[in-house]
Amino acid sequence: MSVASPAARRTWRRPPAIANPYLRYGLYGLIAAYLVWAVTSLQVSWERVVQGIPRAVTIFGRALPPDFSRRSLLVDGFVESIQIAIIATFLGVLLSVVLGILAARNVVPRAVYLVGRAIIAVARSFHPVIVAIIFVKAVGFGPIAGILTLIVYSIGFVGKLMAEAIEEIDPGQVEAVRATGGGFLKVLAYAVFPQVLPRQVGLSIYQLDSNLRASAIVGIVGAGGIGGTLTNAFKRFDYDFAFAILIVMIAIILVSEALSGRIRKGLT
Amino acid sequence: MILDIQKLSKRYGRGELVLKDLDLHIEGSGITAIIGSSGAGKSTLLRCVNRLVEPTSGSITLDGVELTALKGAELRNLRRQVGMIFQNFNLIDRLSVMENVLSGRLGYVSFFQAASRRYPQDDIDRAFALLERVGLQDFVNKRADTLSGGQRQRVGVVRALMQEPKLLLADEPTASLDPKTSVQILDLLSDIASELGLPVLLNIHNVSQARQFAQRIVGLRFGTIIFDGTPADLDEEALDRIYEGTAGTGDEDDWTPVPAAAAAAAPAVAEDRSA
Repeated sequence: MSVASPAARRTWRRPPAIANPYLRYGLYGLIAAYLVWAVTSLQVSWERVVQGIPRAVTIFGRALPPDFSRRSLLVDGFVESIQIAIIATFLGVLLSVVLGILAARNVVPRAVYLVGRAIIAVARSFHPVIVAIIFVKAVGFGPIAGILTLIVYSIGFVGKLMAEAIEEIDPGQVEAVRATGGGFLKVLAYAVFPQVLPRQVGLSIYQLDSNLRASAIVGIVGAGGIGGTLTNAFKRFDYDFAFAILIVMIAIILVSEALSGRIRKGLT
Repeated sequence: MILDIQKLSKRYGRGELVLKDLDLHIEGSGITAIIGSSGAGKSTLLRCVNRLVEPTSGSITLDGVELTALKGAELRNLRRQVGMIFQNFNLIDRLSVMENVLSGRLGYVSFFQAASRRYPQDDIDRAFALLERVGLQDFVNKRADTLSGGQRQRVGVVRALMQEPKLLLADEPTASLDPKTSVQILDLLSDIASELGLPVLLNIHNVSQARQFAQRIVGLRFGTIIFDGTPADLDEEALDRIYEGTAGTGDEDDWTPVPAAAAAAAPAVAEDRSA
Protein backbone atom coordinates (compact mmCIF):
# COMPACT_ATOMS: atom_id res chain seq x y z
CA MET A 1 0.00 0.00 0.00
CA SER A 2 1.49 3.29 -1.01
CA VAL A 3 0.95 6.05 1.47
CA ALA A 4 1.48 8.99 -0.86
CA SER A 5 0.61 9.24 -4.53
CA PRO A 6 3.56 9.88 -6.94
CA ALA A 7 2.21 13.34 -7.69
CA ALA A 8 2.70 14.31 -4.05
CA ARG A 9 6.36 13.23 -3.97
CA ARG A 10 8.41 15.66 -1.92
CA THR A 11 12.18 15.97 -2.24
CA TRP A 12 14.53 15.85 0.70
CA ARG A 13 18.20 16.58 1.07
CA ARG A 14 20.32 16.58 4.19
CA PRO A 15 20.64 20.22 5.37
CA PRO A 16 24.24 21.48 4.98
CA ALA A 17 26.36 21.85 8.15
CA ILE A 18 26.66 25.60 7.58
CA ALA A 19 23.30 26.98 6.55
CA ASN A 20 24.43 30.33 5.16
CA PRO A 21 25.72 29.69 1.58
CA TYR A 22 27.95 32.81 1.56
CA LEU A 23 29.65 31.70 4.75
CA ARG A 24 29.91 28.09 3.53
CA TYR A 25 31.54 28.83 0.16
CA GLY A 26 33.54 31.68 1.68
CA LEU A 27 35.10 29.22 4.14
CA TYR A 28 35.88 26.71 1.37
CA GLY A 29 37.56 29.55 -0.60
CA LEU A 30 39.60 30.64 2.42
CA ILE A 31 40.86 27.11 3.08
CA ALA A 32 41.87 26.68 -0.57
CA ALA A 33 43.63 30.07 -0.65
CA TYR A 34 45.55 29.26 2.53
CA LEU A 35 46.76 25.92 1.15
CA VAL A 36 48.01 27.58 -2.06
CA TRP A 37 49.76 30.29 -0.06
CA ALA A 38 51.30 27.80 2.39
CA VAL A 39 52.76 25.61 -0.36
CA THR A 40 54.12 28.50 -2.45
CA SER A 41 55.57 30.46 0.46
CA LEU A 42 57.57 27.51 1.84
CA GLN A 43 60.09 27.78 -1.02
CA VAL A 44 60.72 24.10 -1.54
CA SER A 45 64.03 23.99 -3.41
CA TRP A 46 63.98 21.09 -5.87
CA GLU A 47 67.65 21.68 -6.55
CA ARG A 48 68.55 20.75 -3.02
CA VAL A 49 66.28 17.73 -3.09
CA VAL A 50 68.09 16.50 -6.19
CA GLN A 51 71.52 17.16 -4.63
CA GLY A 52 70.48 15.22 -1.55
CA ILE A 53 69.72 12.00 -3.41
CA PRO A 54 73.33 10.82 -3.96
CA ARG A 55 74.14 11.68 -0.35
CA ALA A 56 71.25 9.56 0.83
CA VAL A 57 72.51 6.72 -1.36
CA THR A 58 75.96 6.94 0.26
CA ILE A 59 74.52 6.88 3.78
CA PHE A 60 72.30 3.91 3.07
CA GLY A 61 75.18 2.20 1.26
CA ARG A 62 77.37 2.53 4.33
CA ALA A 63 74.54 1.45 6.63
CA LEU A 64 74.42 -1.95 4.95
CA PRO A 65 74.97 -4.46 6.31
CA PRO A 66 73.92 -3.33 9.84
CA ASP A 67 76.61 -3.87 12.44
CA PHE A 68 75.48 -5.71 15.55
CA SER A 69 79.04 -6.40 16.79
CA ARG A 70 79.05 -3.79 19.58
CA ARG A 71 76.46 -5.78 21.45
CA SER A 72 77.14 -4.52 24.97
CA LEU A 73 76.71 -0.89 23.92
CA LEU A 74 73.50 -1.78 22.14
CA VAL A 75 72.07 -3.82 25.04
CA ASP A 76 73.05 -1.30 27.73
CA GLY A 77 71.42 1.54 25.80
CA PHE A 78 68.15 -0.27 25.27
CA VAL A 79 68.00 -1.61 28.84
CA GLU A 80 68.38 1.95 30.11
CA SER A 81 65.74 3.28 27.71
CA ILE A 82 63.25 0.60 28.75
CA GLN A 83 63.94 1.28 32.43
CA ILE A 84 63.36 4.98 31.88
CA ALA A 85 60.11 4.26 30.06
CA ILE A 86 58.76 1.85 32.69
CA ILE A 87 59.63 3.97 35.72
CA ALA A 88 58.29 7.13 34.06
CA THR A 89 55.08 5.40 33.02
CA PHE A 90 54.47 4.06 36.52
CA LEU A 91 55.05 7.39 38.27
CA GLY A 92 53.44 9.41 35.49
CA VAL A 93 50.24 7.36 35.45
CA LEU A 94 50.01 7.54 39.24
CA LEU A 95 50.24 11.34 39.13
CA SER A 96 47.87 11.43 36.16
CA VAL A 97 45.13 9.69 38.13
CA VAL A 98 45.36 12.34 40.85
CA LEU A 99 45.53 15.20 38.35
CA GLY A 100 42.78 13.64 36.25
CA ILE A 101 40.45 13.78 39.25
CA LEU A 102 41.49 17.35 40.08
CA ALA A 103 40.84 18.36 36.47
CA ALA A 104 37.38 16.75 36.13
CA ARG A 105 34.65 19.37 36.25
CA ASN A 106 32.01 17.03 37.63
CA VAL A 107 33.82 15.79 40.76
CA VAL A 108 35.75 18.77 42.17
CA PRO A 109 34.93 22.43 42.92
CA ARG A 110 35.52 24.89 40.11
CA ALA A 111 38.67 26.45 41.61
CA VAL A 112 40.37 23.05 41.94
CA TYR A 113 39.26 22.14 38.42
CA LEU A 114 40.90 25.24 36.96
CA VAL A 115 44.19 24.56 38.75
CA GLY A 116 44.14 20.92 37.64
CA ARG A 117 43.43 21.86 34.03
CA ALA A 118 46.20 24.48 34.11
CA ILE A 119 48.81 21.97 35.33
CA ILE A 120 47.85 19.51 32.60
CA ALA A 121 47.85 22.25 29.96
CA VAL A 122 51.38 23.28 30.93
CA ALA A 123 52.55 19.66 30.87
CA ARG A 124 51.06 19.32 27.38
CA SER A 125 52.39 22.51 25.88
CA PHE A 126 56.01 21.39 25.27
CA HIS A 127 57.27 18.54 23.17
CA PRO A 128 59.25 15.99 25.23
CA VAL A 129 62.50 17.06 23.54
CA ILE A 130 62.11 20.62 24.84
CA VAL A 131 61.21 19.35 28.32
CA ALA A 132 64.25 17.04 28.13
CA ILE A 133 66.57 19.95 27.28
CA ILE A 134 65.31 21.81 30.35
CA PHE A 135 65.70 18.79 32.65
CA VAL A 136 69.17 17.99 31.30
CA LYS A 137 70.17 21.56 32.18
CA ALA A 138 68.56 21.21 35.61
CA VAL A 139 69.70 17.75 36.77
CA GLY A 140 72.52 16.99 34.34
CA PHE A 141 73.00 14.31 31.68
CA GLY A 142 71.60 10.86 32.35
CA PRO A 143 68.48 8.81 32.94
CA ILE A 144 67.05 11.00 35.75
CA ALA A 145 66.44 13.77 33.24
CA GLY A 146 64.80 11.23 30.92
CA ILE A 147 62.50 9.91 33.64
CA LEU A 148 61.40 13.40 34.69
CA THR A 149 60.76 14.33 31.06
CA LEU A 150 58.57 11.34 30.39
CA ILE A 151 56.65 11.83 33.64
CA VAL A 152 55.70 15.30 32.42
CA TYR A 153 54.83 13.84 29.02
CA SER A 154 52.64 11.14 30.61
CA ILE A 155 50.80 13.66 32.78
CA GLY A 156 50.01 15.79 29.78
CA PHE A 157 48.48 12.94 27.86
CA VAL A 158 47.06 10.47 30.40
CA GLY A 159 45.99 13.24 32.79
CA LYS A 160 43.99 15.01 30.13
CA LEU A 161 42.27 11.89 28.83
CA MET A 162 41.57 10.67 32.38
CA ALA A 163 39.92 13.98 33.22
CA GLU A 164 37.79 13.68 30.11
CA ALA A 165 36.89 10.06 30.87
CA ILE A 166 35.80 11.08 34.38
CA GLU A 167 33.68 13.90 32.98
CA GLU A 168 31.84 11.42 30.78
CA ILE A 169 30.83 8.95 33.51
CA ASP A 170 27.18 8.13 34.22
CA PRO A 171 26.12 10.63 36.90
CA GLY A 172 23.37 8.26 38.07
CA GLN A 173 25.91 5.93 39.69
CA VAL A 174 27.49 8.89 41.49
CA GLU A 175 24.05 9.94 42.70
CA ALA A 176 23.35 6.42 43.97
CA VAL A 177 26.56 6.26 46.02
CA ARG A 178 25.94 9.72 47.45
CA ALA A 179 22.42 8.62 48.37
CA THR A 180 23.83 5.81 50.54
CA GLY A 181 25.72 8.38 52.60
CA GLY A 182 29.13 7.94 50.98
CA GLY A 183 31.57 10.87 51.08
CA PHE A 184 33.98 12.14 48.41
CA LEU A 185 36.51 9.29 48.64
CA LYS A 186 33.84 6.59 48.68
CA VAL A 187 32.16 8.16 45.67
CA LEU A 188 35.54 8.03 43.90
CA ALA A 189 36.16 4.42 44.90
CA TYR A 190 32.67 3.10 44.10
CA ALA A 191 31.14 5.32 41.43
CA VAL A 192 34.04 6.94 39.56
CA PHE A 193 36.92 4.44 39.41
CA PRO A 194 34.89 1.39 38.39
CA GLN A 195 33.58 3.39 35.44
CA VAL A 196 36.95 4.67 34.23
CA LEU A 197 39.11 1.66 35.13
CA PRO A 198 39.19 -0.02 31.70
CA ARG A 199 40.00 3.31 30.11
CA GLN A 200 42.72 3.87 32.69
CA VAL A 201 44.39 0.53 32.04
CA GLY A 202 44.20 1.03 28.28
CA LEU A 203 45.69 4.50 28.55
CA SER A 204 48.53 3.28 30.77
CA ILE A 205 49.50 0.58 28.31
CA TYR A 206 49.33 3.04 25.44
CA GLN A 207 51.48 5.48 27.39
CA LEU A 208 54.10 2.81 28.12
CA ASP A 209 54.22 2.15 24.40
CA SER A 210 54.53 5.84 23.69
CA ASN A 211 57.16 6.36 26.40
CA LEU A 212 59.30 3.57 24.91
CA ARG A 213 59.48 5.52 21.65
CA ALA A 214 59.94 8.88 23.35
CA SER A 215 62.70 7.54 25.64
CA ALA A 216 64.84 6.94 22.54
CA ILE A 217 64.23 10.47 21.29
CA VAL A 218 64.92 12.31 24.55
CA GLY A 219 68.21 10.39 24.75
CA ILE A 220 69.39 12.41 21.76
CA VAL A 221 69.54 15.58 23.86
CA GLY A 222 71.35 13.79 26.68
CA ALA A 223 68.56 12.40 28.81
CA GLY A 224 69.98 8.86 28.92
CA GLY A 225 69.20 5.67 27.06
CA ILE A 226 69.68 4.43 23.50
CA GLY A 227 69.10 7.89 21.97
CA GLY A 228 72.53 9.03 23.14
CA THR A 229 74.18 5.96 21.62
CA LEU A 230 72.35 6.65 18.37
CA THR A 231 73.50 10.28 18.06
CA ASN A 232 77.07 9.26 18.85
CA ALA A 233 76.95 6.65 16.10
CA PHE A 234 75.74 9.29 13.63
CA LYS A 235 78.36 11.80 14.73
CA ARG A 236 81.12 9.26 14.12
CA PHE A 237 79.63 8.24 10.74
CA ASP A 238 79.06 4.69 12.08
CA TYR A 239 75.99 4.35 9.88
CA ASP A 240 76.04 0.56 10.05
CA PHE A 241 75.84 0.65 13.87
CA ALA A 242 73.15 3.36 13.72
CA PHE A 243 71.16 1.15 11.37
CA ALA A 244 71.48 -1.76 13.78
CA ILE A 245 70.09 0.46 16.57
CA LEU A 246 67.14 1.49 14.40
CA ILE A 247 66.33 -2.15 13.56
CA VAL A 248 66.29 -3.14 17.23
CA MET A 249 64.14 -0.09 17.97
CA ILE A 250 61.60 -1.15 15.37
CA ALA A 251 61.62 -4.69 16.76
CA ILE A 252 60.97 -3.47 20.30
CA ILE A 253 58.15 -1.19 19.19
CA LEU A 254 56.55 -4.02 17.22
CA VAL A 255 56.71 -6.35 20.22
CA SER A 256 55.25 -3.74 22.59
CA GLU A 257 52.57 -2.92 20.02
CA ALA A 258 51.53 -6.57 19.78
CA LEU A 259 51.59 -7.04 23.56
CA SER A 260 49.59 -3.92 24.34
CA GLY A 261 47.06 -4.77 21.66
CA ARG A 262 46.57 -8.19 23.17
CA ILE A 263 46.26 -6.86 26.74
CA ARG A 264 43.77 -4.18 25.73
CA LYS A 265 41.66 -6.74 23.93
CA GLY A 266 41.37 -8.68 27.19
CA LEU A 267 39.76 -5.71 28.93
CA THR A 268 36.25 -4.37 28.69
CA MET B 1 8.85 7.81 61.31
CA ILE B 2 7.51 11.29 60.75
CA LEU B 3 8.50 13.24 57.68
CA ASP B 4 7.27 16.80 57.70
CA ILE B 5 7.76 19.13 54.75
CA GLN B 6 6.74 22.74 55.10
CA LYS B 7 6.71 25.56 52.53
CA LEU B 8 9.33 23.78 50.46
CA SER B 9 10.40 25.71 47.35
CA LYS B 10 13.02 24.88 44.77
CA ARG B 11 14.25 26.73 41.74
CA TYR B 12 17.17 25.62 39.55
CA GLY B 13 19.46 28.56 38.76
CA ARG B 14 17.28 31.47 37.74
CA GLY B 15 14.51 29.34 36.25
CA GLU B 16 10.90 28.93 37.27
CA LEU B 17 10.01 27.55 40.67
CA VAL B 18 9.86 23.76 40.35
CA LEU B 19 8.36 23.37 43.83
CA LYS B 20 6.17 26.12 45.29
CA ASP B 21 5.51 26.35 49.03
CA LEU B 22 4.85 22.64 49.17
CA ASP B 23 3.54 21.10 52.40
CA LEU B 24 3.50 17.34 52.94
CA HIS B 25 3.20 15.30 56.11
CA ILE B 26 3.97 11.59 56.14
CA GLU B 27 3.59 9.41 59.19
CA GLY B 28 3.87 5.71 59.85
CA SER B 29 4.38 3.05 57.20
CA GLY B 30 2.85 2.28 53.82
CA ILE B 31 3.23 3.46 50.26
CA THR B 32 2.48 7.04 49.34
CA ALA B 33 2.34 7.43 45.56
CA ILE B 34 3.19 10.78 44.04
CA ILE B 35 1.64 11.25 40.63
CA GLY B 36 1.80 14.11 38.18
CA SER B 37 2.98 14.80 34.66
CA SER B 38 6.65 15.10 33.69
CA GLY B 39 8.11 18.32 35.04
CA ALA B 40 5.58 18.58 37.88
CA GLY B 41 8.44 18.34 40.39
CA LYS B 42 8.15 14.73 41.57
CA SER B 43 11.85 13.86 41.23
CA THR B 44 12.91 17.19 42.71
CA LEU B 45 10.66 16.64 45.71
CA LEU B 46 12.17 13.22 46.39
CA ARG B 47 15.73 14.46 45.98
CA CYS B 48 15.14 17.35 48.38
CA VAL B 49 14.35 14.80 51.11
CA ASN B 50 17.83 13.23 50.93
CA ARG B 51 19.41 16.49 49.81
CA LEU B 52 20.70 15.23 46.46
CA VAL B 53 19.01 18.47 45.45
CA GLU B 54 19.40 21.56 47.63
CA PRO B 55 16.04 23.11 48.57
CA THR B 56 15.82 26.84 47.87
CA SER B 57 13.67 27.53 50.91
CA GLY B 58 11.37 25.81 53.37
CA SER B 59 11.75 23.18 56.02
CA ILE B 60 12.03 19.39 55.99
CA THR B 61 12.18 17.47 59.25
CA LEU B 62 12.73 13.74 59.66
CA ASP B 63 11.69 12.57 63.14
CA GLY B 64 12.03 16.13 64.36
CA VAL B 65 15.50 16.74 62.92
CA GLU B 66 15.65 19.71 60.58
CA LEU B 67 17.62 18.47 57.62
CA THR B 68 17.80 21.43 55.25
CA ALA B 69 20.80 22.86 57.13
CA LEU B 70 22.80 19.65 57.65
CA LYS B 71 26.40 19.57 56.43
CA GLY B 72 29.27 17.11 56.06
CA ALA B 73 29.08 14.09 58.34
CA GLU B 74 25.61 15.00 59.61
CA LEU B 75 24.29 15.16 56.06
CA ARG B 76 25.83 11.76 55.21
CA ASN B 77 24.27 10.45 58.41
CA LEU B 78 20.87 11.61 57.23
CA ARG B 79 21.34 10.07 53.80
CA ARG B 80 22.14 6.64 55.16
CA GLN B 81 18.80 6.67 56.98
CA VAL B 82 16.97 7.27 53.71
CA GLY B 83 17.17 4.56 51.05
CA MET B 84 16.66 5.45 47.41
CA ILE B 85 15.66 3.46 44.35
CA PHE B 86 16.13 4.95 40.88
CA GLN B 87 14.42 4.79 37.51
CA ASN B 88 17.63 3.71 35.75
CA PHE B 89 18.63 1.46 38.66
CA ASN B 90 21.95 3.34 38.97
CA LEU B 91 23.85 0.21 39.89
CA ILE B 92 27.62 0.31 39.57
CA ASP B 93 27.68 -1.64 36.30
CA ARG B 94 31.23 -2.95 36.51
CA LEU B 95 30.98 -4.19 40.08
CA SER B 96 29.44 -7.45 41.21
CA VAL B 97 25.95 -7.80 42.62
CA MET B 98 27.43 -8.30 46.10
CA GLU B 99 29.58 -5.18 45.85
CA ASN B 100 26.54 -3.21 44.76
CA VAL B 101 24.52 -4.56 47.65
CA LEU B 102 27.28 -3.89 50.18
CA SER B 103 27.63 -0.35 48.85
CA GLY B 104 24.38 0.28 50.72
CA ARG B 105 26.57 0.20 53.84
CA LEU B 106 28.95 2.91 52.61
CA GLY B 107 27.48 5.39 55.06
CA TYR B 108 28.41 3.07 57.96
CA VAL B 109 31.85 1.62 57.16
CA SER B 110 35.25 3.32 57.00
CA PHE B 111 36.88 4.22 53.70
CA PHE B 112 39.45 1.48 54.21
CA GLN B 113 36.75 -1.15 54.76
CA ALA B 114 34.90 0.09 51.70
CA ALA B 115 37.91 0.27 49.38
CA SER B 116 39.29 -3.13 50.44
CA ARG B 117 35.79 -4.72 50.46
CA ARG B 118 36.28 -5.88 54.06
CA TYR B 119 32.73 -5.37 55.26
CA PRO B 120 31.65 -6.46 58.75
CA GLN B 121 30.27 -10.01 58.95
CA ASP B 122 26.83 -8.68 59.98
CA ASP B 123 26.62 -6.71 56.76
CA ILE B 124 27.54 -9.76 54.70
CA ASP B 125 24.94 -11.88 56.50
CA ARG B 126 22.32 -9.22 55.91
CA ALA B 127 23.30 -9.00 52.24
CA PHE B 128 22.91 -12.75 51.73
CA ALA B 129 19.59 -12.78 53.58
CA LEU B 130 18.17 -9.94 51.49
CA LEU B 131 19.48 -11.39 48.22
CA GLU B 132 17.73 -14.66 49.10
CA ARG B 133 14.59 -12.74 49.94
CA VAL B 134 14.49 -11.31 46.38
CA GLY B 135 15.65 -14.55 44.73
CA LEU B 136 19.09 -13.40 43.62
CA GLN B 137 21.26 -15.67 45.79
CA ASP B 138 22.77 -17.29 42.69
CA PHE B 139 23.93 -13.96 41.27
CA VAL B 140 26.20 -12.85 44.11
CA ASN B 141 29.38 -12.66 42.02
CA LYS B 142 27.78 -11.77 38.69
CA ARG B 143 28.58 -8.35 37.31
CA ALA B 144 25.64 -5.99 37.71
CA ASP B 145 25.47 -5.17 34.00
CA THR B 146 24.88 -8.82 33.09
CA LEU B 147 21.51 -8.86 34.88
CA SER B 148 18.09 -8.22 33.34
CA GLY B 149 16.16 -5.04 34.15
CA GLY B 150 13.95 -6.66 36.77
CA GLN B 151 16.93 -8.34 38.45
CA ARG B 152 18.85 -5.08 38.49
CA GLN B 153 16.02 -3.23 40.13
CA ARG B 154 15.80 -5.96 42.75
CA VAL B 155 19.50 -5.36 43.46
CA GLY B 156 18.62 -1.65 43.68
CA VAL B 157 15.94 -2.43 46.27
CA VAL B 158 18.32 -4.63 48.28
CA ARG B 159 21.01 -1.94 48.20
CA ALA B 160 18.55 0.59 49.61
CA LEU B 161 17.41 -1.86 52.31
CA MET B 162 21.03 -2.52 53.32
CA GLN B 163 21.04 1.02 54.67
CA GLU B 164 18.47 -0.03 57.29
CA PRO B 165 16.50 3.03 56.22
CA LYS B 166 13.73 4.78 58.11
CA LEU B 167 12.25 5.86 54.81
CA LEU B 168 12.44 4.63 51.23
CA LEU B 169 12.37 6.97 48.25
CA ALA B 170 11.49 5.32 44.93
CA ASP B 171 11.84 7.55 41.88
CA GLU B 172 9.90 5.96 39.00
CA PRO B 173 11.33 2.53 39.92
CA THR B 174 9.35 0.76 37.20
CA ALA B 175 9.53 3.28 34.34
CA SER B 176 12.37 1.36 32.65
CA LEU B 177 10.71 -2.03 33.05
CA ASP B 178 8.12 -3.98 31.10
CA PRO B 179 4.58 -4.16 32.56
CA LYS B 180 4.93 -7.64 34.06
CA THR B 181 8.27 -6.89 35.72
CA SER B 182 6.89 -3.55 36.92
CA VAL B 183 4.18 -5.33 38.85
CA GLN B 184 6.73 -7.76 40.34
CA ILE B 185 8.87 -4.87 41.58
CA LEU B 186 5.86 -3.03 43.00
CA ASP B 187 4.69 -6.24 44.70
CA LEU B 188 8.14 -6.56 46.24
CA LEU B 189 8.18 -2.96 47.44
CA SER B 190 4.72 -3.34 48.84
CA ASP B 191 5.56 -6.58 50.69
CA ILE B 192 8.77 -5.14 52.07
CA ALA B 193 7.05 -1.93 53.18
CA SER B 194 4.58 -3.91 55.24
CA GLU B 195 7.10 -6.52 56.51
CA LEU B 196 9.49 -3.87 57.76
CA GLY B 197 6.88 -1.26 58.61
CA LEU B 198 8.71 1.03 56.24
CA PRO B 199 7.22 4.16 54.69
CA VAL B 200 7.78 4.46 50.94
CA LEU B 201 7.51 7.64 48.85
CA LEU B 202 6.85 6.38 45.34
CA ASN B 203 7.00 8.54 42.24
CA ILE B 204 5.00 6.81 39.56
CA HIS B 205 3.57 7.55 36.13
CA ASN B 206 1.18 4.65 35.95
CA VAL B 207 -2.04 5.78 37.68
CA SER B 208 -3.70 2.38 37.82
CA GLN B 209 -0.61 0.89 39.48
CA ALA B 210 -0.57 3.82 41.90
CA ARG B 211 -4.20 3.03 42.75
CA GLN B 212 -3.42 -0.67 43.18
CA PHE B 213 -0.32 -0.41 45.37
CA ALA B 214 -0.53 2.84 47.33
CA GLN B 215 -2.51 3.54 50.46
CA ARG B 216 -2.31 7.26 49.81
CA ILE B 217 -1.99 9.24 46.58
CA VAL B 218 -0.59 12.74 46.26
CA GLY B 219 -1.15 14.64 43.01
CA LEU B 220 1.47 17.17 42.04
CA ARG B 221 1.02 19.87 39.42
CA PHE B 222 3.36 22.76 38.70
CA GLY B 223 5.18 22.18 42.00
CA THR B 224 2.15 22.24 44.27
CA ILE B 225 0.02 19.49 45.75
CA ILE B 226 -3.46 19.67 44.26
CA PHE B 227 -4.70 16.27 45.38
CA ASP B 228 -4.12 14.29 48.54
CA GLY B 229 -6.26 11.31 49.42
CA THR B 230 -6.92 7.59 49.22
CA PRO B 231 -7.01 5.72 45.91
CA ALA B 232 -10.81 5.69 46.21
CA ASP B 233 -10.88 9.50 46.34
CA LEU B 234 -8.98 9.77 43.06
CA ASP B 235 -11.84 10.20 40.60
CA GLU B 236 -11.85 11.33 36.97
CA GLU B 237 -12.30 14.94 37.99
CA ALA B 238 -9.18 14.81 40.22
CA LEU B 239 -7.15 13.12 37.48
CA ASP B 240 -8.17 15.84 35.04
CA ARG B 241 -7.01 18.50 37.45
CA ILE B 242 -3.64 16.76 37.89
CA TYR B 243 -2.89 16.01 34.27
CA GLU B 244 -4.87 18.37 32.06
CA GLY B 245 -3.04 21.03 30.10
CA THR B 246 0.21 20.56 31.95
CA ALA B 247 3.38 21.80 30.31
CA GLY B 248 5.33 18.59 30.71
CA THR B 249 3.05 16.33 28.67
CA GLY B 250 4.16 18.21 25.57
CA ASP B 251 3.14 17.68 21.96
CA GLU B 252 3.63 13.94 21.78
CA ASP B 253 0.75 13.30 24.15
CA ASP B 254 -1.59 15.58 22.21
CA TRP B 255 -0.75 13.81 18.98
CA THR B 256 -3.60 11.85 17.42
CA PRO B 257 -2.96 9.38 14.60
CA VAL B 258 -3.88 10.60 11.13
CA PRO B 259 -6.49 8.23 9.67
CA ALA B 260 -5.19 6.15 6.74
CA ALA B 261 -7.54 7.88 4.33
CA ALA B 262 -6.34 11.31 5.40
CA ALA B 263 -2.71 10.18 5.17
CA ALA B 264 -3.26 9.03 1.58
CA ALA B 265 -4.65 12.47 0.84
CA ALA B 266 -1.65 14.15 2.48
CA PRO B 267 -1.13 16.87 -0.15
CA ALA B 268 -4.77 17.88 0.15
CA VAL B 269 -4.36 18.30 3.88
CA ALA B 270 -1.30 20.44 3.30
CA GLU B 271 -3.25 22.60 0.88
CA ASP B 272 -6.08 22.97 3.34
CA ARG B 273 -3.69 24.21 5.95
CA SER B 274 -2.05 26.75 3.66
CA ALA B 275 -5.40 28.00 2.42
